[in-house]
Amino acid sequence: MDRTKAILFFVLVFLLVVLAFIFFKNSGSERIKKPGEIPQSAVSTQAPIEKSTRKVTLFFLREEDSQLVPEERDIVSDPSTVREAEAVIAELIRGSQTGLVSSLPAETKLVQLFITKEGVAYVDFSKDLVDKHPSGSAAEISTVYSIVNSLAYNLKPIKKVFILIEGEERETLGGHISLDHPFLPDYSLIVKE
Amino acid sequence: MNMPKRTVKVLCGPGLVLLALVLALSAAGASGSKELKTIVIDPGHGGMDLGAKGKFGTLEKNITLAVSFKLKALIEQNLPYRVVLTRDKDIDVSMENRSAIANNNDAVLFISIHTNGSFRKKAQGSETFFLSLDAPDEETRKLAYMENTSSELEKRIEDENKDEVKTILWDMAQSAYIKQSSQLAEEIQKELNIFLGTENRGIKQAPFKVLKGVACPAILVEVAFISNPEEEQKLIKDDFQRKVAEAIYQGLKKYTKLFS
Repeated sequence: MDRTKAILFFVLVFLLVVLAFIFFKNSGSERIKKPGEIPQSAVSTQAPIEKSTRKVTLFFLREEDSQLVPEERDIVSDPSTVREAEAVIAELIRGSQTGLVSSLPAETKLVQLFITKEGVAYVDFSKDLVDKHPSGSAAEISTVYSIVNSLAYNLKPIKKVFILIEGEERETLGGHISLDHPFLPDYSLIVKE
Repeated sequence: MNMPKRTVKVLCGPGLVLLALVLALSAAGASGSKELKTIVIDPGHGGMDLGAKGKFGTLEKNITLAVSFKLKALIEQNLPYRVVLTRDKDIDVSMENRSAIANNNDAVLFISIHTNGSFRKKAQGSETFFLSLDAPDEETRKLAYMENTSSELEKRIEDENKDEVKTILWDMAQSAYIKQSSQLAEEIQKELNIFLGTENRGIKQAPFKVLKGVACPAILVEVAFISNPEEEQKLIKDDFQRKVAEAIYQGLKKYTKLFS
């Protein structure tokens, strides 16, 4: 009897150790994930071989009349809105493929992006967005609304966009448009054709 | 009161002199600025803030100051207004201070002067802005404002967020003048088209930091693009700057006639 008890005890301890190991391993990998991301362990372990894409409409600047002009692009589709939003910003920085102007300086880097429950996307850029910006009302308006419109138009959960620079709220990009509030999209700036 | 008579006399002497002085000073002050209302002109940028830069090295901050001086002279020579500049030399002035200068001087008009800038050199023309209100947010703010009785407000100001409350209140200042601001923008834009012959980019609305806190009709003029080499060449010419000042002057003159 004592022997079976001892064996049972060891088996139990062993099981506990294994369980604890699995638990801590999982929670460790959870922590690495970015905030706002939906844990999709089931999907990621099945690892689809081919990444599916989706079409997005980006808004670039046409300098002659300062209108925003749509340009379609494929991005990797992702169940996470944050990931897709990051892809939209990356494409805006990469620039137009049809000769339009990107109103984000090429040096600009996206530092972080998160979306609140209320649908406000906080988009944090490197200081290049300010330092390499040409200043001028027209330039600032096109920068703000090419970002805001491109995000809100393609990603339903995003209602408003708050632009941050290196993690902080900034007064303006170059002395004109106030950045102290989240922006609603303004589709009146888009060319009507 | 058992004050010795001599002390009363001694006290009365200098007291009377002081009283007379104060009266004389206040009378002089009143008669000096009694009828003259103030227009505040805001030369965009300045100091470390260069504004937009032209291909030939022209700096926006210098053009805006030059035009502002010309406009000030035109107004003071021809209209019964006193003109205050938010800066009269090449110095940094914060956005808050620019609007504070207008409010502290009881300005009746606020005109911010800029030259435009874009990413490449093609953009051209002139446009006039007035403040846009982000409707839902403004509504919330307005409600928050109405719900606060003055005593509650005072109590809040006692709290640590003194500056924040002040900003919220000033932030609302311009919202009461949007209609007049749009009329002022319209009059000035018309004259810019006539005098300058630059492309008409029209009147527009945007959330300009410098306009938000101004408690009177307020506009921001973007005269030509300094980022366009052809327009930059125009902007550095004294004659063109004179025309810009003349256009704004004519526009504001017509606007003031609408309200007198």
